[in-house]
Amino acid sequence: MDTLFAYAWLIPLFPLLAFIVIVSFGRQLKEGAALVGIVLTGISFGLALLTFWERFQDGAANYKFNVNWLQVGDIVISMGFEVNQLNAMMLVIVTLVSLLVQIYSKGYMHGDERFPVFYQYLALFTFSMLGLVLSPNLLQVYIFWELVGVCSFLLVGYYYFKNEAKAAAKKAFIVTRIGDLGLFIAICLLFWWTGSFEYTQIFDSVALGKLDPWMITLAAILIFVGAVGKSGQFPLHTWLPDAMEGPTPVSALIHAATMVAAGVYLVAATFPLFIASDTALNVVAYVGGFTAIFAASIGLTQTDIKRVLAYSTVSQLGYMMMALGVAGAAGYVAGSFHLMTHAFFKALLFLGAGSVIHAVHTQNVFEMGGIWKKMPITALTFLIGCLAIAGIFPFAGFWSKEAIIGAVYGAHRFDLLIIALVAAFFTAFYMFRLFFLTFAGKPRGKHVPHESPAVMTGPLLILALLAIVAGFINTPYGPYLSDWLLASDTGTAISQVFGDEVAHAASWLQVVALLISIAGIVLAYLMYGKKKIPSDTIPETLPWLYQLSYRKYYVDELYHAVIVRPLGWIGVVLNGFDKYVIDGLVGLTAKIATGIAALHTKAQNGQIQSYGAMVLFGLLLLIIAISLTAQGGGLFGSGQ
Amino acid sequence: MDLVNSILLSVLVFSPVLAILVMAFIPQHQGGVIKKVGVLGTLLPLLLSLYLFASFHYGSSNLQFVEKYDWISIPISFDQAGNPYGLEINYELGVDGVSMPLLVLTAIIATLAAVASWQIKKRLKEFFILFHVLLIGMLGVFAADNLFLFFIFFEMTLVPMFFLVGIWGYGEREKAANKFLLYNGIGSGIMLIAFIVLYLLLQTMNMEQISNALTTAGHPVASAITPELRFGLFLALFIAFAIKLPVFPFHTWMLKVHVQAPPSIVMIHSGILLKMGAYGVLRMGIGFFPEQAYQFATWLAVLGIINILYGAVLAYVQKDLKMVLAYSSISHMGIVLLGFAAMNTIGFQGAMFQIVSHGFISALLFFLIGVIWDRTQTSMIDELGGLAKSMPFVSGILLAGGMASLGLPGMSGFISEFFAFLGLFGKLPVMAVVGALGIVLTAVYLLRAILRTTFGPTPDRFNRLADAQPMEVIPMVVLLGFIILIGVYPAILGNPLQQTLKTIVPIVTGIGG
Repeated sequence: MDTLFAYAWLIPLFPLLAFIVIVSFGRQLKEGAALVGIVLTGISFGLALLTFWERFQDGAANYKFNVNWLQVGDIVISMGFEVNQLNAMMLVIVTLVSLLVQIYSKGYMHGDERFPVFYQYLALFTFSMLGLVLSPNLLQVYIFWELVGVCSFLLVGYYYFKNEAKAAAKKAFIVTRIGDLGLFIAICLLFWWTGSFEYTQIFDSVALGKLDPWMITLAAILIFVGAVGKSGQFPLHTWLPDAMEGPTPVSALIHAATMVAAGVYLVAATFPLFIASDTALNVVAYVGGFTAIFAASIGLTQTDIKRVLAYSTVSQLGYMMMALGVAGAAGYVAGSFHLMTHAFFKALLFLGAGSVIHAVHTQNVFEMGGIWKKMPITALTFLIGCLAIAGIFPFAGFWSKEAIIGAVYGAHRFDLLIIALVAAFFTAFYMFRLFFLTFAGKPRGKHVPHESPAVMTGPLLILALLAIVAGFINTPYGPYLSDWLLASDTGTAISQVFGDEVAHAASWLQVVALLISIAGIVLAYLMYGKKKIPSDTIPETLPWLYQLSYRKYYVDELYHAVIVRPLGWIGVVLNGFDKYVIDGLVGLTAKIATGIAALHTKAQNGQIQSYGAMVLFGLLLLIIAISLTAQGGGLFGSGQ
Repeated sequence: MDLVNSILLSVLVFSPVLAILVMAFIPQHQGGVIKKVGVLGTLLPLLLSLYLFASFHYGSSNLQFVEKYDWISIPISFDQAGNPYGLEINYELGVDGVSMPLLVLTAIIATLAAVASWQIKKRLKEFFILFHVLLIGMLGVFAADNLFLFFIFFEMTLVPMFFLVGIWGYGEREKAANKFLLYNGIGSGIMLIAFIVLYLLLQTMNMEQISNALTTAGHPVASAITPELRFGLFLALFIAFAIKLPVFPFHTWMLKVHVQAPPSIVMIHSGILLKMGAYGVLRMGIGFFPEQAYQFATWLAVLGIINILYGAVLAYVQKDLKMVLAYSSISHMGIVLLGFAAMNTIGFQGAMFQIVSHGFISALLFFLIGVIWDRTQTSMIDELGGLAKSMPFVSGILLAGGMASLGLPGMSGFISEFFAFLGLFGKLPVMAVVGALGIVLTAVYLLRAILRTTFGPTPDRFNRLADAQPMEVIPMVVLLGFIILIGVYPAILGNPLQQTLKTIVPIVTGIGG
């Protein structure tokens, strides 16, 4: 056992230990719970780094370990873990962001009544997310998939006394569960078609052509339905912006960097299934593309700092899906790469937003402004995050966005290319609208903000550093991540279908994309920084368009009218049916029973003669019965 | 050890007699002592059932701990060869991998329900005596290997239940008790007719012999039974147990019981008594008539889907937490039917897991509602809210119980739901998809009910409610512990089930397919 991978199972175990310790001793630990979480997650991060490093070495093979979990009939269901390229990268992202968020939360959640409970949930989430990433089979994925969902639910509803948090938590759980149903069905079907839950066996069955094309398409699309729910893709995106009711560090960890990216991860992890079906890939690409531009267009008009970021997350996740959907080696790499850079800069932006909210006690950007000087570290790191997400050279987002645009271009998907470029423009615009409204101009708030403590700014600085440099792991001049990711089994499978050429954006396209982003920034500057263009131009001239965006295209209202309320009506109707029709049957049976009883009462008339007659009649019946049965097979069975 | 094992089941089944005898000597007014005896009395069957669990042989599919004594013999006449024959009723007990876990479940739930009976205030002595009689009946049902004995034990649960609901229940208790007796009486009547016909056909009441005779190709007696009659018998047995389960449209009686019975009795009712219906369907419906059951599978699935969706939609609009859980039980019993409908090992395993899992989960949830009622004097959702502030522990457990009920992985509800559906996907995939909608609906109605109870602003009147007391913590923690144990380590239940299900399934599919 000379490989470190054999110990990878320890990585999720430390956060689980933290969870158990905090559950058991939370009341005694009080705010010491933070330390437990930080230290144990820190150990996991160290292990994840080592694992990643070893995985990065040449010649490192996949590692898989299984134990029997349950035997059903002749089928043995196993649980275990696996280390491959993709999940080694995910391990580092998850443990790192979790660690930083836990450090940050020590300051952010300070003084909260349920402080240990918060860390308890964070630890459980970290465990579940790591378990999800390490899973070698779909059943195990589903188990952890649901567990991260419930942690998300618990943390969104952390401020349980607020009605908005209650509603948001419920919505997060139910809407994602609709998606989960797709995954659930996919797992069941794949099990019967391939005889296994294991990735490897399912992929082998696909590669060997044991599955009909329609089966592959159906299974892939159903898996994607699960990913749509988790990653907030249209039409199941509505829960994610509402999930901002949770504490901001939670939004950073779960609803920006890790859990919502699980959908993208799932598609990437089951990629050999997707590339076997053009239809499934197209569904992924167009749903992703549509979500990217749809959510970005909503982000343009929102006034809540966290909601802008939430729609931005939805949009960026759509970007990743689109990249995976155009497939080919380039798409696979670009989607995974953007997942990583986005995790860093979006976590940075959320934590920065948290730092601002912490200081100004509001989430409405129109009640902020002029914070630049008061909170220099927060402001500077937030700016770095904005530049990164806008795709400005040489920040991390530039490289990963370039990879996506290059992949789309390389696949000659010009419709998607236009979507990608427009969405990039929107992104640059709304991010800098947010930036200028929050940090520039004159203070509009009631509170005098102060810079957050070092425990909060420290993580910001680290994430800002990553938002600057993380892109260099994969540039057209040094495609380390690309080469490495494609040296996997999935990479081999891709090259068999699409060839192994990684397309990059042509130089002119890179410049165009960069210019588009800069245009977005300049426009935002003119409207909200310099105020040269009145910011109510659009609301004044095209009010319906503005309302459509501001009201999020009325999707929530639509769902309410088409699904939620009819369900209530059906319920009320059925309730009446149950009460009066079905239960009415009881009344009927009762009447029949009384009727029979009345007959008996008549028989019990006290007259010896009638009793005697009945006895005789009974005796006669008995004699007949016995003489019939005595002849052999029995009363009913005698077939002679 | 052989001696112990040879009488273990009888001792287990009748062990509650000890508590009844002791209680008979305690004066009525010494309520505290009666309560203690009432609880301690259930520990004996609990320990014996755990011993049974520990000494059960997983590798064997045969009946174990078999006991057989001649009991009632009524000579009637001589057959043509001159041998006397007549009504032979033997005392026969035995357990296999299906019934053994149910015995353990019964003993565990009974102990916790006895603890939960702590808040019973009137006529304690009668209460606990009836409680223990009920316990004998339940244990007997799962241990019996003879139709006559089964029937006696089955009826033995009805009478004490009638009084327990009728005397110690809430406002409309008598109505509920009457309805309970009426419906179950009809079920028993149908069951009795089916049993008598079976006896007349096969001249035996031994369940294993009946099952063997009916499922052996070319059996001298049984092969003469026409398929029509077989189907009629199957249907009669199915209806008899469907009322108990309950299957739509026979469910309205159990709503009343769930709402009106005292919490500890609902724990038993929902946790165990309903399971007697599921057990009967598997043991007698499917066990005796596998071919007919196989043909009936699609209808089983249809009924299961109706139960799941109908129960879920109705649970969504209920105003009373108890009604939510009552309809939730109907919905969850639909999953049992789906597991049966799958007609494969995976599905049967799912159904059995669901029987046990729902036993624990519903016992936990009804117990919690009792605890909440105890403090707030209400179970109406609109009158509750914000309990998490003053009762964080109870609220947390309620949420955990709800999560278990909606099938969160890591808890028992997931295992049962997953395997029941997985099994059905192998046989009737379209039905499985329709039924799986219930997975979403379950989350919808449970979160609505639970979040409205514990989340949201806390009204002033609930600011000072007491959180769980030690006597209340025990059932909560124990039940949740079992729920998580099965969820994380399902083999603890899967291993005993294995061999028995393995023998049932080939018979079902072998003949049918």
